[in-house]
Amino acid sequence: MFTGSRRLPGLKRSVRDPGAFIRLARSNLELWANLVIIAWAVTFAILQGTGFAITLGTVFAIWAILAVSLNLVVGFTGLLSVGHIGFFGIGAYTVAVLTSNASYEQLRTEAIPTFGWPFFAALPVGVVLAGLTAVAVGVVFNRFRDDIFVLVSFGFAIICFNVFLNARAVTRGAFGIHEVAKPQIGGWVFDDELSFLALAVVFLLVVVLLSWFIVTSSFGRVLTAIREDERATEVFGYQVTHYKLTVWVLSAMMAAAAGGLFASWTTFIDPNSFVLLESILLVSIVILGGLATIWGSLLGAMTFVLLEEGMRFVPGLPDQYVGQARQVVLGVLLVLLMLFRPQGLLGRYRL
Amino acid sequence: MSSAAEGPTPYALETVDVRKHFGGVHAVDGLSIGIPRGEITCVVGPNGSGKSTLINLLSGMLPLDGGLVVVDGVRLRVVKPHETPGLGVTRTFQDVRLFDQITVWDNIMVVLTERRLLPSLFERPRPGQRERTEQILRNVGMWEKRRSLAMDLSYGQRKLLEIGRAMALNVNTYLFDEPFAGLFPQMLERVKEIMRQMRSEGRTILFISHNMDIVRELSDHLIVMDSGRLLTEGDAEEVLAQPEVIEAYLGV
Amino acid sequence: MLRFAAYREGQGRILAAALTTAAAAYVVWKIAESPDQAVQFAFNGLSVGAVYALLALGFTLVYSTVWFFDLYYGAAAAMGAYGVFYLRTSETVGGNHVNNPYVSAVFALVVAGVIAWALHESLFRRLERRSNPTTLRAASGLLAATAGIYTGFVLTNPDHLHMLLSPAAGVTVAVAVGGVVYGVLQRLFVGTAAAPLLIISAIAGCVVGAYCGLLVAGAPGSRLYLSWIVSCLVAGAVGVALYRGLYVYMRQRARSPLIMLVASLGVLLAITAATAIVFESAPRPLPRAFGSDSWALWGGNIKGFNVFTVGVAIAGFAGLLLLLKKTALGRTIRAIGDDEEVAKVVGINTTVVIAIVFFIGAVFAAAAGLLSGHDTAIQPRMGLLLMLKGWIASVVGGIGNLYGAVVGGFALGMVEQFGIWDLAGEWKDVISFLILILFLSFWPRGLLPRG
Repeated sequence: MFTGSRRLPGLKRSVRDPGAFIRLARSNLELWANLVIIAWAVTFAILQGTGFAITLGTVFAIWAILAVSLNLVVGFTGLLSVGHIGFFGIGAYTVAVLTSNASYEQLRTEAIPTFGWPFFAALPVGVVLAGLTAVAVGVVFNRFRDDIFVLVSFGFAIICFNVFLNARAVTRGAFGIHEVAKPQIGGWVFDDELSFLALAVVFLLVVVLLSWFIVTSSFGRVLTAIREDERATEVFGYQVTHYKLTVWVLSAMMAAAAGGLFASWTTFIDPNSFVLLESILLVSIVILGGLATIWGSLLGAMTFVLLEEGMRFVPGLPDQYVGQARQVVLGVLLVLLMLFRPQGLLGRYRL
Repeated sequence: MSSAAEGPTPYALETVDVRKHFGGVHAVDGLSIGIPRGEITCVVGPNGSGKSTLINLLSGMLPLDGGLVVVDGVRLRVVKPHETPGLGVTRTFQDVRLFDQITVWDNIMVVLTERRLLPSLFERPRPGQRERTEQILRNVGMWEKRRSLAMDLSYGQRKLLEIGRAMALNVNTYLFDEPFAGLFPQMLERVKEIMRQMRSEGRTILFISHNMDIVRELSDHLIVMDSGRLLTEGDAEEVLAQPEVIEAYLGV
Repeated sequence: MLRFAAYREGQGRILAAALTTAAAAYVVWKIAESPDQAVQFAFNGLSVGAVYALLALGFTLVYSTVWFFDLYYGAAAAMGAYGVFYLRTSETVGGNHVNNPYVSAVFALVVAGVIAWALHESLFRRLERRSNPTTLRAASGLLAATAGIYTGFVLTNPDHLHMLLSPAAGVTVAVAVGGVVYGVLQRLFVGTAAAPLLIISAIAGCVVGAYCGLLVAGAPGSRLYLSWIVSCLVAGAVGVALYRGLYVYMRQRARSPLIMLVASLGVLLAITAATAIVFESAPRPLPRAFGSDSWALWGGNIKGFNVFTVGVAIAGFAGLLLLLKKTALGRTIRAIGDDEEVAKVVGINTTVVIAIVFFIGAVFAAAAGLLSGHDTAIQPRMGLLLMLKGWIASVVGGIGNLYGAVVGGFALGMVEQFGIWDLAGEWKDVISFLILILFLSFWPRGLLPRG
C-alpha cells in the first residue's frame, strides 16, 4: 500500500525531483512503449477508417515479417546485416517474374519471358532461391564479424540492387514488372484488400511462430551464445559456422516470403523498392523496436508504419516530403537510442 | 606413474614437441609434457613463459605450429576447438569469457544441450538438464543469481560461474587458466573445494597459478615452464624442493 | 580453425596471384586489341581513381585513428557536393534559388559551436590563469557568434560570395605569407632582434593579403572555387561537431564499435533524407568548372578537370604524408591510432586531436564529393556509395596505410574501368564489391599492409 505510493512519484514530487520521474519512466519504458504505440495504432484505425487501416495493416505485416526475420540475425546472432533487402528483392522478383502475365510487346519496351504461374507455386521457388543465395553468400560472409560484416552486407544489398536494375533480360530493369498475380487458392482469389490483409497476417503469424520456435529452442540459446562469444561457444562443442549459416538462411527465406507477398500486393515492382536505403530503414526498425525480441520487432514495424502516416499531420510539411521526413526522424531516433538505450525500446541485447 | 592409470597410457593428455610462435617470439618451444590421469597438475612459470599459450594449444584455440597433442592415446596434429569436448577436454579462460548478455541459467544450459544442429532446433529444456543446471549452480553457489545476466555478476562470481560452466560439460580433463586470480579468500576456498571434489571423482585437472601456497596445497604434479620450454616436471613435492625451480620462479 | 584460416590464406595467395595474372592477361589482350580504347579507359580509371584515392585517404586516416566506421564520412561527401550546389544554384538552374534560411542557420550555428569549442580548447586553457574567465568566455562567445553570423551571411548571399569572402581570403593569405616571410627572415638573419623582422613580415603579409583580397573581390569568376572551400570547411565543421557532440559520449560507454557505427548510420540517414527534402532527390548537375573541354592525347580524350582531380588527390596525399610523418600533430595522431589510452596517459589531449582528424577526414570526403559531382552529377544518395568506394579502396590498399590508400584508390578506379570493357558500365559497383569480398577473404591486409 505504502510501497505503491513510493514507487509512483506524484506530480508534486516529480516537480521537485524530476530525476525520480525520469528514472520511473525509464524503468517502465517498455510498458509505455507498448501502450503508446498500440494506442496510437488503435486511434489511427478509428480516425482514418477501416479502408485505410487495412492498407496500413498490410504494409505493417510485410515490414513486420522482414523485421522479425532480420532480428533473428541481428538481435539473436549478433550479425548486423544491412543486406536483408536483397533477399526481400529476390523473393519479390522471383514471384513477379514467374507469375507476371503482361504482354510486354505492347508496352514497346524490352520484353521478358512470361510464365504465368500461380502465386502459391512461385512463392516457394522464390523462397528456395533466396535460401540458396543465402547459402552461397553466407559461406563467404561467415568469416566476417562486427563492422566488417556490416560493410560487406552493404555490398550484398548493392550487388542485389544492381542485378535487379541491370539484368534486363529477366527483370526488365528500371521498367519494372507489371501484373504480378494475386494469390489464389482454388477459386478463391485474394484480390481485395481485406483478404490480402488476412493472408499477410497469416504469413506474419507463421513467421512469428517459426521465429519463436527457433529462439526458444536450444538452437536459439546457442545463437545468443555465439553472439556473445563465438570462440568460447566453439570450445563447448558447437560448430558455430553451421549455426550462423542456418539462421542466416532461415532468415533470408522469411524475407523472401515477405518479398513475394509484397510483389503480389503492389502488382508492380521495380528496383527502387529494393535500394540500400530501404535496408537501412529495416535495420533501424529492428534496432528501434529492440534487439533480440520478437515482440519488439513487431512494435518497431508498427511504429515505422505509423510514423509515416503520423507525419502527414505535421503542419507545414508537404505530402511529398513525408517519406524523407520519416527518415530524418528515424535517423535522429537511431542516434538517440545509441546514446541512451542501445538495446532499443524493448531490447534484450545491447550492441 | 600412479594408480590412476586405467587407459592405454597413464596420461590423460600429452604433448610431444609442441611448438608455437608469434612472429619471431617462440611462445612454446618444443614442449613435451604429460598430464597424469586423475590428478591435479599445476603449470607454473614466470609471466610470458607460455602457460596460457599451452592451454590455448591444448584446447584448439590456437593452431599448432609443430608437434603433437595426444589425448587418451589418440595422436592429433590439429586440435579443432569444437571437437575438444568430444575428446574429453574443456577449459576456462584467463580473462573470464562468459556469455555476458544471457542469464546465468542459460550460461550453464548452453553447455548441456544438443550439439547436432537439426535436433537442437526441436529441443526444449528437459528435466534432466534442468536438474543438472540446478545442481551445478548450487554447487558454485549461484542458484539465487540464476535469473540475472552474466554481465551483472561480480568478478569472483563470474570466475565461479565459468568454472561451473566447464563442470557442466561432463568430461575427463579440465584446463583452468588462472582460476584463483583475483578471488577473495572465501571464493578461493570454494574453488579449491570444487577442484578437490573433481579429483575425487577421478577427473584430471590442469591449472595455472601464481600463488605458491595454493600450488603447494593442491597440486599432485607440477610442470615448471620458462620462456616456452620445460624447466622441470614431476611430483609436486619433489619439484618444489629443487632450488633451481625456486630460483627460476622467484628470481624473474 | 585458425590453422585452417592460415591454410586458406596461403591458398588465397595462390588464388590471388592467379586472378591477378588472369586480369593482367585480359588487360594486355584488350590493349593489344584496341590501344586507343585502352588509353581512354586508363584516363577514365585515373580520374575515377583519383576521387577514390581522396576518399580512401580521408577514410583510412579517420579509421586508423579511432577504429570505428564513421558513416558520416559518406554524408560529408554528399554535403561537399551539395554545398557547391547550394551556393551556386543561380548558375546551374538559372536564378531558381534553393537558398533556405533554415539550412543556413543550422550550418551557421554548427560553425559557431565548433569555433566556440575550438577557442575554448585552445585559448581558454592557456589564458585561464592570467585573465578573468568571464571576460574570456564573453570574448570567445563573441568571436564564435561573429563567425557564425559571418557564415550565415556567406551562406545566404551566394551571389556576393567573392565580396563576402574577400576579407577572409585576404586575412588567410596575409597570415600565411607573414608566417612564411618571418620564417625565411629568421633563417637569413640569425641573431637579429625579433621585432624588426616581425614588422617587416607583417607589412609584407598585409600587402600581399590586401592585394589578394582585392583580387578576389574583383573576380566574380572565383565564386565557384570559393564555394568549394566553403563547402569543404562546413562539412569539416559538421564532422567536428558530430565528434565532439556525439561520438565522445558514446565512446565513453560503448561496448563495441557497432554503437558508433549504428549512430553514424542514423546520422547518414537523417542527413541524406534532409538533403533530399531541401534539394529534391532527382540528380542535379553542378556548374561547369574550368577544364571541361577534353583534350585528345595518345588516342584518348581527357578533360583538364580530370587532370586537376588527379593533382588534388596527389597533393592531398603529399599533404597528409607530411602532416603524419613530419609534424608533432602527425605523431600524436599516430600515437592515438596505436593506443588511445596510452596517448591519454602521456598527456595528449586526444579529444582535440581526434576532432582535427575528423575535420581533415570530412574535408577530404567533401573534396572528393564535389570533384566527382563536377565530373558527373550529384544526388542525395551519392554519399553512401562514395563512402563505400573509399572504404573498398582503403581495404584493397591496406587499411591504415596512406600509400595503400592512394594505390588502392587508383587500382580500384582502373579495375572498375577495365572491368566494364566487355560488360556494360552499370556493373562497375558489382565489380568493386566483388573485389572487396575477394580481398577481405583472401588478402585482408591489403596490397600494402600497415607497417
